[in-house]
Amino acid sequence: MKVPEQIKRLAVVLFVILAAVLLTRYLIPASVVDPRVYRASSAQREVSKEIKFAGATTCSDCHDDINTKKKVGFHKGLSCETCHGPSVKHAEDPSSGKPFAPRERKFCPQCHEYNPSRPTGFPQIIPTIHNPLKPCITCHNPHDPVPPQVPRECSACHAQIERTKALSRHALLECTTCHSTPTRHKQLPRSVKPTKPESREFCAKCHDTGASRKDAPKVDAATHGSRFLCWECHYPHMPGEA
Amino acid sequence: MVYPYLTGLVAGAFILASLVKVFNVEEVRPTYRLSLLTALAFLLIAPLPLQLHLGHPLRSYEIFLTPNPTSAMAMFGFVYLWYLMGVLVLELWFEYRRDLIVWSREERFPMSLVHRALSLFSTDTSDAAVAFDRKAIQVITVIGIPSAFLLHGYVGFIFGSVKANPWWGSVLMPIVFLMSAIVSGIALVMFLYMVLTPLRGEPIDMRCLDKLASYLFYAVIVDFSLEALDFIHRLYQSEESIHILGTLIASKLFMSLLVIQIFLGMLLPVGIMIAVRLFSVTAELRKLFYFTAIILIQLGIFATRWNVVIGGQLFSKSFRGLTTYKMEVVGIEGLITALVLLALPFGVLLVLLKVFPPWRRAAA
Repeated sequence: MKVPEQIKRLAVVLFVILAAVLLTRYLIPASVVDPRVYRASSAQREVSKEIKFAGATTCSDCHDDINTKKKVGFHKGLSCETCHGPSVKHAEDPSSGKPFAPRERKFCPQCHEYNPSRPTGFPQIIPTIHNPLKPCITCHNPHDPVPPQVPRECSACHAQIERTKALSRHALLECTTCHSTPTRHKQLPRSVKPTKPESREFCAKCHDTGASRKDAPKVDAATHGSRFLCWECHYPHMPGEA
Repeated sequence: MVYPYLTGLVAGAFILASLVKVFNVEEVRPTYRLSLLTALAFLLIAPLPLQLHLGHPLRSYEIFLTPNPTSAMAMFGFVYLWYLMGVLVLELWFEYRRDLIVWSREERFPMSLVHRALSLFSTDTSDAAVAFDRKAIQVITVIGIPSAFLLHGYVGFIFGSVKANPWWGSVLMPIVFLMSAIVSGIALVMFLYMVLTPLRGEPIDMRCLDKLASYLFYAVIVDFSLEALDFIHRLYQSEESIHILGTLIASKLFMSLLVIQIFLGMLLPVGIMIAVRLFSVTAELRKLFYFTAIILIQLGIFATRWNVVIGGQLFSKSFRGLTTYKMEVVGIEGLITALVLLALPFGVLLVLLKVFPPWRRAAA
């Protein structure tokens, strides 16, 4: 039987392709395709890059006080430069300038903003309702980031107030700033009650236009809602929204 | 994401081409060569997105030479090579061989040499040789259909076999991918046919177009049913992932899945095509309707790929919540690269159309 012309021509093409494949397989020396040839330069390239991080241990050489505090706190797993940024220049010459220190509110939520895929128990907040407008470092020391606590003696019974206040602008005020509590309140909580502020002047100490405290919202205590006590309109454990 | 979309177009275009040869559907003959060339143009570009992802272009040919029977990913090289060299190029060669010889005799220097070389310097135009070509095409097409199924079924297989991802891991995945591939391929060839034919100043063959549209119609129906089946099956199974998938569909994928893929990409075009069938519409209006439908379908299939590829990475693997996808604009896998990759096959097709004009048939 006569072999059709097409088959012959295709056979030639197939032969050429096969020969090319075999040539590349067996004739090109192995050293040329050796991965080490590819990677030799990449190791050098990495090594020659500028060093930017001082490394976690370098910082504690000088800042031992902070390190002592940090290594027992919740942030013990973080290296200093996680928050303070690459600081090799500062480590080599401390007078050359201070490392970056995050003081803005948007920094901490990078890790602590609520996200359902974060592990259970990881402290998470919703930035729009958690103490709005205040920088995180007002209440939390990043080197030992435990928030201010309501005394256990109060929170044991008043847990709901504790949780409300913890998120409010009054988070940093202690219970005793506004309430004085007789010792017998603990034995007879219903008949012996703590005091509540009973005059408008009490709130005005911080909130009057003439008051010295700078970060509190100001009103003119003489004219603002004059017939009422402050807490008849403003709930002191969660005063005002942003 | 561009990659499954492109291979889908390839498989679809080839399956359309094989209708002519295997099932002798005479009506769609005008699109036979066009769909083969379309398949080739898109097939040539299809591995580029992978190449951009992997890097090391100098070692890329290793994909085709290094067998790894336990890796589904590594099988790509063989599926692709088989489909490109064993099926598509061979079929094109047999189809064009006689025309190439005849053209090269009529033409002047540069093109005559190109055509002669492409015919592998073949000279035999006798009836017996042409009959052998036809026979060969028949055989190749019969082998080609399962190969096309393999090529795109394989892409679905890769997604479907990811057990850990409930949005992907489904036995139906290869079949759903395949059907949507057929849908997009037919729509693409229809689009090209409807654009290229008037550009050459020739009338559109309405018999051909109607037939294509009816195939497209059935393919969309089957595709839609399969996807609905998959969806209902998931709902009925109600595995632990169902809540997060429900949230995913209702929030992050609402636009691309419910609005674009299902409403704009399936229900609306099917509605249009049903309307065309119910009311006797004039040819001009029919063209307009078909054109609208195929653009919508193309958009819908693109959204399908988006929903599978991006959607599968939008929820946490512990089902606790959703993640975010931020698209790069520049960058090697960014928006601009993706747009260039989507435009490239049309450039390749333009060259192929110059070298192998599908409408030019050599006189006997």
